[in-house]
Amino acid sequence: MGVILEVKNLTKKYGGLTAVNDFSFEIKRGEFVGLIGPNGAGKTTVFNLISGFEKPSSGRIRFDGIDITGMRPFKIVNLGIARTFQLVRSFKFLSLLDNITVPCLSERGKKLTKKVGTEAHASSILASVGLIDKARIPPVILPHGDLRKLQIGKALGTNPELLLLDEPFSGLSHEEGVVITELIKNLHDDGVTIFMTGHVLRELMTLVPRVIAMHQGRFIIDAPPQEVASNKIVLEAYLGRGGEFA
Amino acid sequence: MIKQNFKNKVSELPNYIKSWAKTFTGGLTLFTLIAFIFLPFLSPNQNFLYVFVRQFTLAMIYSIFAASWDLLTGISGQISFGHSIFFGIAGYLCAYLISYQNFPIWVAFIIGALGAVFFGLIIGVPCLRLKGPYLALGTLAFSLILLKLFLMGSLAFIFFGSEGISGLPRIAPNPIIEYFIIFISMIAIFIIIFQIVKSKFGTILKAIRDDEMGADASGVNTTRYKAYAFMLSALFAGIAGSFYALYIGAVNPSGNFGSVISFFAILMASLGGLTTISGSALGAFFFIFLEYSLIQIGFENYVFLIFSIILIIVVRFAEHGILRPVLERLKDMWDILLGR
Repeated sequence: MGVILEVKNLTKKYGGLTAVNDFSFEIKRGEFVGLIGPNGAGKTTVFNLISGFEKPSSGRIRFDGIDITGMRPFKIVNLGIARTFQLVRSFKFLSLLDNITVPCLSERGKKLTKKVGTEAHASSILASVGLIDKARIPPVILPHGDLRKLQIGKALGTNPELLLLDEPFSGLSHEEGVVITELIKNLHDDGVTIFMTGHVLRELMTLVPRVIAMHQGRFIIDAPPQEVASNKIVLEAYLGRGGEFA
Repeated sequence: MIKQNFKNKVSELPNYIKSWAKTFTGGLTLFTLIAFIFLPFLSPNQNFLYVFVRQFTLAMIYSIFAASWDLLTGISGQISFGHSIFFGIAGYLCAYLISYQNFPIWVAFIIGALGAVFFGLIIGVPCLRLKGPYLALGTLAFSLILLKLFLMGSLAFIFFGSEGISGLPRIAPNPIIEYFIIFISMIAIFIIIFQIVKSKFGTILKAIRDDEMGADASGVNTTRYKAYAFMLSALFAGIAGSFYALYIGAVNPSGNFGSVISFFAILMASLGGLTTISGSALGAFFFIFLEYSLIQIGFENYVFLIFSIILIIVVRFAEHGILRPVLERLKDMWDILLGR
């Protein structure tokens, strides 16, 4: 299996603050990887840098062998990296179906819709995230769990090879979380490479076979979950020094 | 296959129109259109033809202009406070080509509108980096620059100074023919704008309006689509501007480029209801006839004051404009009449 995402010496500075500091890792095609760290560790910044919403101060990002450092977001999406946002975003006044239609109309999304037609394809994605019975409703009146599903549906519209999920469980009830977990697992089984963040360890640990931990913008460890959970620096980052209660 | 599709659509058209006419909005639109067709024949009185019918013609020109603003701001979310740019450029270009280059009216008219599209592109591109209120300020600044350039006495040999260009031919010598030319253009433009709004292209524009970052994350080249929106809006604003120049028979800086012209579009579209498109027409007619009545009773200096107060009241109590509430009331009355 080849490397799908290669991040090398990634650094992002905001004035005097270094949000991401010399961060490097690789993800192989078909992997399922978690990125953890306490609040403010720089997880979202890493995602923003990969997806092109922010430009790195230094360092390189390669996707499928193509250098995507500093490319505009829509181009990166059309290469095959889709993302969701920590704070849910939606096209507020469009129906759910139209919300999914927009990514289906992107350059990359279009390739899939040629045979079946845009609307049929968007409906099938809506069905796969379990929102087909609400196709004509605008997202403003949806509960939070449904908005999380919609986000994943929108990302699927662009037919991604690599899916970046930024805190897909935040603000969800336990039941809603279970549904989303199933959804993500199915996507992974379909062959989508998944890279997701989370600040709550427990949820992520049960899901992913490999975890990258970061703290204050720095890389700490890249290992299976059990090993990460027992890592001293990780425990200190989450619980402060002397974290014997873990 | 596309040909077959098209044929199917054409053969379905009569049925589509039939079912559309039976719906409430369809029936109402049809009724209004028929009323518009009979309106100029109501009286052979000269005063009626040259004053009243021409007021309707003017309102229709403003309807096109306000709808073009609604397409850019209401549908695509790109706030423009300088729509007079497109209105003025088209009018000036059209007037210049007719008066100084002896172009036929309709050629000049089309070149005028295309000139507005060109300006839509060259103003759109630097402005597209601006967002929200900053875009509004940017477009406002551009329109003020153009207004100043056209007013400057020292540049009068290029821009004709504060005098402008006058003595243009009428669209048609007979006000009834003029009325129908503009009426048909207005209907055509409204149908085109409605189709744009309903199309996939329109869906993308609305997506950019609702969440530009989200549209970017969906793989949409937002810059390109915003430029398209600017150019399309400029085209329709340019058509309105060319019509206006020919309707008045002259162009001058403050009449065609003034900020007031931009605010006309904003006032009319907001009064009618943003994103409704047809609300722009309602707003335009309301505005023109309020102005007309105020002038008749000798209050011409208070037109803007009174209209602004009305707008404040509308924005306060019906922030989505008056079109939808009015339609809902009418529909309720209709249902009661039919005993539903």
